[in-house]
Amino acid sequence: MKQIVVPGDKLEGKVDSYVFTDAGNTYSMVLGVFDKGDGVGKLDPLTGKYFPQVDDFVVGVISEIKKGGYVVDINSPYDAFLMSRRIYDEKDIILARVNNVSEVRSVSLTYDKKLFDGEIMEVSPVKVPRVIGKKNSMVDMIKEKTKAEIVVGQNGRIWLKGGDISKAREAIDKIEKEAHTDGLTERINEFLNKVI
Amino acid sequence: MGGAKTDIKLISKGKRIDGRGFEELRPIKIEAGVLKRADGSCYLEWGKNKVLAAAYGPRECFPKHTQNSYRAKLTYRYNMAPFSTDDRKRPGPDRRSTEISKVSREALEKVVFLEYFPRTAIEVYVEVLQADAGTRCAALTAASVALADAGIPMRDLIVACAAGKVDDEIVLDLCQEEDNYGSADLPIAISPRTGQIHLMQMDGTLTRKEFSTAFEMAQKGCLKVNELQKKALKDKYEKIGEEYGTE
Repeated sequence: MKQIVVPGDKLEGKVDSYVFTDAGNTYSMVLGVFDKGDGVGKLDPLTGKYFPQVDDFVVGVISEIKKGGYVVDINSPYDAFLMSRRIYDEKDIILARVNNVSEVRSVSLTYDKKLFDGEIMEVSPVKVPRVIGKKNSMVDMIKEKTKAEIVVGQNGRIWLKGGDISKAREAIDKIEKEAHTDGLTERINEFLNKVI
Repeated sequence: MGGAKTDIKLISKGKRIDGRGFEELRPIKIEAGVLKRADGSCYLEWGKNKVLAAAYGPRECFPKHTQNSYRAKLTYRYNMAPFSTDDRKRPGPDRRSTEISKVSREALEKVVFLEYFPRTAIEVYVEVLQADAGTRCAALTAASVALADAGIPMRDLIVACAAGKVDDEIVLDLCQEEDNYGSADLPIAISPRTGQIHLMQMDGTLTRKEFSTAFEMAQKGCLKVNELQKKALKDKYEKIGEEYGTE
């Protein structure tokens, strides 16, 4: 059974994230969907910003050129620093992996790669797992049906190029809006078949 | 407040001037997520009060020298629109709104997990579009819904409500006439889960006994408003969920 919870709601059982304990009880700290599950319960937030975690792949925009590297806007409250010998200009779009997040939340990136041309759309970072789907099922389906190149960053930025971009965008918008509902994959499949 | 003299009968035949009982709230309507550009938002109607709240963040903190390496900086702005009162309200911050902003900010600081977001800023802006007594309570109630809608981690939803003394009777949630001609007003803000008090102000005078009656009454009022807050937040997502079934 899944249910929508608000900050301060008491949760049953063990939950691993977005919770705090007070006097031995567990409470939600966000507006989210709680799934009690069999063993460890799961709480997925419904809104919120992106907070970088090590090994996340993010789509970033070069915002400043510094000596030995670049300051990258990764759609988060914290800017990231990329040490790289590659040549980038301001406003270039890159794909990179989060290398480290320090105690004071300074973020460093690595494995950078430029994404040429294309366009960027943004979705709420908490909806990214639904856009990707289980084992990339959702994004693979959109790629196959629209023939577009798509890169989904964990930070909620999506880079699209070629193929039927407007249809891919529409599909992603639909996923974002209905992210917390049942049978989403089939509905998106239907939607993609219909418009083509 | 101040207990100005009036010929209006504030209480007659056990009913208040607007027909309410002593422990009755004004009708309240709360809607979450009404502004697209803000990270979180809330529109609240509390009797004739109309309040719009927007929450931003956590986001980069400007000016840079105000950022704190250990926690997020919380800012709260309570502002009354020029057209919110009978006489035109001179726009801009004044002594009253600066004080309300300060006490409300201190109340919210107690429930937001600020230490999770070092070096950032969390901002709350509340605009009072129409005022009818009890705007600080309405504003704070709306602000906590906006913060939750923005996905900011909190220990609890803050909820505020007032009680007061009118014609020697303790009543809940004063309206404009009761506020102007009554003899005391006691707005409080609490965490409904723990009962912790985050804001308490008093205008006028109450005896100790009257105070505890008023306080308990306001607490009960808070809990009722809290149910509406929760419903507003859940409704935003359940509407879409109902169409296809929430997973």
